[in-house]
Amino acid sequence: MVFRLLTLAITLVVLASRPASALPTMIRIGYMDCASCHISPQGGGPLNAYGRGIDEAQSLRAQDYQPTPDRRLTHDVRLVLQEQGTWNGQTGTNFFRPRLMYRNATNLSRALRVSAIVTAEGADAPRPALSYDPAARPSTLFVNTALLHYRPRESLEFAIGRDQLPSGVNLPDLAIYVRSRNRLGYYDAPTQLKMYWGAKRYHVMPFVYTAGGNEPAGEAETGGGTLAEFDLLGHSRTVAGLTVQRGTASNGDRRMVGAYARVGFGRWGVLAEHDITDRTRNGPTLAAFTQAATYGQVFWAVREWLVASGIGERLTVDAPFEQRLAAGKAEIAARLSSQATIVVGVRFERNLITRRLAKTAVVQTAFKTVK
Amino acid sequence: MTSTFVWSRPIVAVAVAVFAVTTFAAAQSADQGSLVEVKNGTAAFEVGTNVGAISVHGKSNDLTARLRMRQSPEGAVLEGIEAAVPVKSLGTGMGLRDNHMRKYIFTTSDGQQPDVRFSADKAVCTKADARQSTCELTGNLAIRGTERPFTVVLKVSEDGDTLRAVGDGKVTLSAYGIERPSQLGVTTEDNVKLRFDLTAKQTGSRPVATSGRRQ
Repeated sequence: MVFRLLTLAITLVVLASRPASALPTMIRIGYMDCASCHISPQGGGPLNAYGRGIDEAQSLRAQDYQPTPDRRLTHDVRLVLQEQGTWNGQTGTNFFRPRLMYRNATNLSRALRVSAIVTAEGADAPRPALSYDPAARPSTLFVNTALLHYRPRESLEFAIGRDQLPSGVNLPDLAIYVRSRNRLGYYDAPTQLKMYWGAKRYHVMPFVYTAGGNEPAGEAETGGGTLAEFDLLGHSRTVAGLTVQRGTASNGDRRMVGAYARVGFGRWGVLAEHDITDRTRNGPTLAAFTQAATYGQVFWAVREWLVASGIGERLTVDAPFEQRLAAGKAEIAARLSSQATIVVGVRFERNLITRRLAKTAVVQTAFKTVK
Repeated sequence: MTSTFVWSRPIVAVAVAVFAVTTFAAAQSADQGSLVEVKNGTAAFEVGTNVGAISVHGKSNDLTARLRMRQSPEGAVLEGIEAAVPVKSLGTGMGLRDNHMRKYIFTTSDGQQPDVRFSADKAVCTKADARQSTCELTGNLAIRGTERPFTVVLKVSEDGDTLRAVGDGKVTLSAYGIERPSQLGVTTEDNVKLRFDLTAKQTGSRPVATSGRRQ
């Protein structure tokens, strides 16, 4: 019983884990990918000067941003406080997770830079511990990102180091099935080499990767893949993309193919992704099965600084690890200033096999320094 | 370079107005010199920047236009075309950017923000087929009180009592003496693309714009 409660609590913490970095909802006003506002074209990490201006402009305070003249070093400190409660009909748990992050991007030359994100946290938030895909080991002090970037021109960048792998719709919530069930959790930071090649209407991100060092025995994975997306109508508001990935580990392999879309209509928009993963799991007998994860979100900018979302998710895992989950979430995110944001959400997850329902309420506040 | 987040939607709006006018003309069949008015027309614009992934889009749903329309052996003739878009109705979806746009693009040296206006003495439409016609509108477009020649070609299609006009245009900021907006390393291009897509229903003898579409 204690183990089950602990597992449930950890799972629910993961459900609310979000690094509050990339904001794909910005597609609604024509920002079709992360490269517009983030120094890293994959998103996450420090914002570039223009992104900091947009960050401030899209806040309740909405004032002009005055950048510092130092263009070599960009860094900030971010404090995230997360409180959540969970009920499964019989028991309830509360969880408080504070995190302190240091994020840095330093230009070594016109084309070279290094970047890093280091997190110290008061409570772990691993992705669900699955028998066919154990979670990476958490750490109180964790290096989320440590990359060396080479950008010979604006539209082309190479990066090597440890980081999260590129992902489809690129949502900041790491708990959603399309992320947490595809090794895109908070502590998944494999060593990788990746390329970003972008133009006005498309970008491509091929990558190869190997272990990050914190995987359980037999789970160190080596593989590669690519992400490719295209602005269908050419107005920066209708992006569709594909992802493919193949990974091999001692304990099993996986092959994933996914499709995703980001569509914006001014004050509202839709984010959607569907991934299918064929997995094998080595053991006394070889198990081969398929996993399908679906995500859909409709969001509405009530105000520029206040965005409400309705989210639906579905997960299907075939035997011998059969799982059928469906989840719904309502969320309101308010950006009070470029330094302070607050997110309030409720989530319902139903196990379609056991009919069990879990309810989660989350309040997350985040503060950061702005240079 | 001055401040950022600015663009020239008014131009688009004007073009839309022109567009609407054309649409009306197509609907007026054999009437002579009837007056056509457009309200709540929609105009949209897009301008690229020096950063590939960033472009700026905006629109107005408050375009108004007036013209007289009559039929001639060559096709519909539009006369006395006047269209306007209030600067305050132009929006990009970001309030601070809109403020910059109005301040740095549309405000005159004496602090006024005159409507963006288009005027043309006359335009002749040619029938492409029974339901479609093409109208080339050549006139003057005024931005912050400065007039420059402006031409837009509109394709007008008719479906029952519904008319739809679609056209593209282009405005060069430098032609108006407007400095390209720049903010935090992102600078707009000099050329602003305009896109017009307007639908109108004929009410009695006077079509009225009922909706617009942003591209």
